[in-house]
Amino acid sequence: MNSPFTEPMSRRRILQGLGLAATAPLLAACVGPGQKSTNNGSNAVTGSFDWQKVKGTTIKILQTPHVYQQTYQPLFKEFTDLTGIQVVADLVPEADYYTKLNTELAGGSATHDAFMMGAYWVWQYGPPGWLEDLDPWINNTAATGSEFDYEDFFDGLRTSMKWDFKLGDAAGTGGTYALPWGFELNNIAYNKTVFDKKGIKPAETFDNLIQLAIDLTDRKNDQYGIAFRGSKSWATIHPGFMTQLSREGGKDYELKDGKLTAAMNSPVAVDFTKKWADLAKQAGPTSWTTYEYPNCTGDLGDGKAMMVYDADSATYPKNVKGASKIAGQIAWHQGPAGPDGSLATNLWTWCWGMNSKSKNKLAAWLFMQWAAGKDAMNKAVQSGAFADPVRQSVFNGTFKQTLGGFPGYLEAFEAQVPQAKVLFTPQTRFLETTEDWAVALQSIYGGSDAKSTLDALVTSNTNKVNS
Amino acid sequence: MSTRQHGAMRSADDTVGGRQAPTVSPARRKWRPYILSIPATVILIGILYPFVQGVGYTFLNYRATEGDVHFIGLGNYLQVFTDPLFWGSVRITLTFAIVATALETVLGVIIALLLNRSSLIGKIFEKVLILPLMIAPVIAGVIWKLMFNPQFGILNHIFNLGSTFDFLSEGRALWSIIMVDAWIYTPFVAILVLAGVRSLPKEPFEASAVDGAGWFYMFRRLMLPMMWPYILVAVIFRFMDCLKVFDIVYVLTQGGPGHATSTLQVNAYINSIINFNYSGGATYMFILWIIVYLTAQQLVKLLGRAQARAAGSEA
Repeated sequence: MNSPFTEPMSRRRILQGLGLAATAPLLAACVGPGQKSTNNGSNAVTGSFDWQKVKGTTIKILQTPHVYQQTYQPLFKEFTDLTGIQVVADLVPEADYYTKLNTELAGGSATHDAFMMGAYWVWQYGPPGWLEDLDPWINNTAATGSEFDYEDFFDGLRTSMKWDFKLGDAAGTGGTYALPWGFELNNIAYNKTVFDKKGIKPAETFDNLIQLAIDLTDRKNDQYGIAFRGSKSWATIHPGFMTQLSREGGKDYELKDGKLTAAMNSPVAVDFTKKWADLAKQAGPTSWTTYEYPNCTGDLGDGKAMMVYDADSATYPKNVKGASKIAGQIAWHQGPAGPDGSLATNLWTWCWGMNSKSKNKLAAWLFMQWAAGKDAMNKAVQSGAFADPVRQSVFNGTFKQTLGGFPGYLEAFEAQVPQAKVLFTPQTRFLETTEDWAVALQSIYGGSDAKSTLDALVTSNTNKVNS
Repeated sequence: MSTRQHGAMRSADDTVGGRQAPTVSPARRKWRPYILSIPATVILIGILYPFVQGVGYTFLNYRATEGDVHFIGLGNYLQVFTDPLFWGSVRITLTFAIVATALETVLGVIIALLLNRSSLIGKIFEKVLILPLMIAPVIAGVIWKLMFNPQFGILNHIFNLGSTFDFLSEGRALWSIIMVDAWIYTPFVAILVLAGVRSLPKEPFEASAVDGAGWFYMFRRLMLPMMWPYILVAVIFRFMDCLKVFDIVYVLTQGGPGHATSTLQVNAYINSIINFNYSGGATYMFILWIIVYLTAQQLVKLLGRAQARAAGSEA
């Protein structure tokens, strides 16, 4: 008997196969690639503002387990009491969170009315129309309470939520596609007890940081100088790497003749990248290429890493009493300034996006408005774990009172926040091209030549962002 | 077959346990084949539809975050075949598949031969051997990731490698993943081969023993040719599985460091799910399907020949 594997391909079978293949594009076209935006729903909301306008509605939100999420979970009941809206929160671990969200939004699903996201996702989810433009909601007095005070958000955060989807245009142009909720500045957190014992201070220049990290490395005693992310992900680039690269004068892209040109191979960038990879090798965690932020902050908390160059809000919880081995011994510093004194800092923000396919837009907007509102945020901050609040009034009031004796935290924040913004150039291939950047960095760490690796990256990324 | 003949057969055959089987009306008899084939048809459509849709995507520029989707012919294939990353992935995937399959086969055969001798330890080991197969590969990957950790992983501690030796560094990651794969799947090969060894006829071995043949001679001239079909079945299963490896690679390295462990499946996943490039991911998957299909075809032919040879040697 012939098996399907051994039976020769007859002409008829080949023709059948080709026939099926020919129908494929037609079938594919039927399932709706390229989702289109739906109409903004804010115009339907009229009359005076009332929290109880859609009482009895249930909304579903998508979240990832995080300090911000954990801080707000107990507050949801207050939102329900205020509005009569029930909130069902689905949690997906951070490693799989965006896979879930991408798949859901790309499929045109209206399952979740609002979701946590990062500012960079505005560039991915905005152009295909998956995100609701929030400007009409913010400006509609029937939908937004007078106490909302949008201008109270830090300027860099408001800017990072906006884009007009035109390649080459900076963040801050176009509509508002998310509401900031919690954010972070990238700087150095260090083991103050060890620093004090040795009589040393945080480095003020990048070269000094390298030397300091090497000096603090003692592999035999399972102690190393500095932890920063190194996994094969866009997330390796955006915290310490992008912050320090920018301070040293490097950029991701430049606009030339109306086209974005990748600039990761500029002399400054090559020199910096080589040093960064070398720093990881000489004074970083041994399995650096698998390191994500919980590994970095975990090592700091365990007393293994002497410094961490990452988000201030990621290291912040480790200093809370009982949260880590060295709780109470962590201090913060703004990190090394650039040759011209620059403290440019890339910021990250967790924010709320509204699904443009949502069937409960007003309820979702009321929830987002409440979550990013002053009252709820003040209460969240009072829990002692919510850092950093995105509202200036909350930061200057409740947060400063709650902060307690976290040495250098406030000073570093105030030094950095005027120069803090999203330092990447907005573009729709951000995740792909930035992951490629992380891959190049890993290759250089593995021994590849920095210049030729970055040259290849620049060619590839320039093609991708302009295609 | 004519209706009359059919009726005649029915009168002779339609008795069950000496009693007349219930009669079925001609209308029901006519529709019964169609009704019975519905589940198979549904399953066939369930398999065929996504497959055809996936192949369709390879001819489009379907990127989920971009609205303009149109037919681009062989554009995706052209892009993939001119991309060094693709050829790197092919090399990594084949290296992984060949080395892992060879390692698992050799170890599996040795273990099967050792277990074939009946002893209490052998019987206990037989039960223990199956344990890695009971663990989901993703979980096994997480366990091994912890064991590979240079700071607190048990392997660096046992082998006294210090905290600077990284099993998942650029030069070692692929070999470490092969080691994990061998840990999970060698028992599968061993069990399959052991079943084969135990089903071999005893007579040829007894006759050889009478003639004074040694253990190695009997192994080489009798056991191995007769075992060959069982070994090949194990090789076919493992090789095809290895070609589409994803879970342990993604858990351990995400395809890194750099591109050191970027297999075809990992690239397909990153293209489709992380980068929203559904057409690019589908192209990778379709090419992988072709590779698996052609490889399986050749391996099954080889199996047929081995079976024929084994039947000859048995006779």
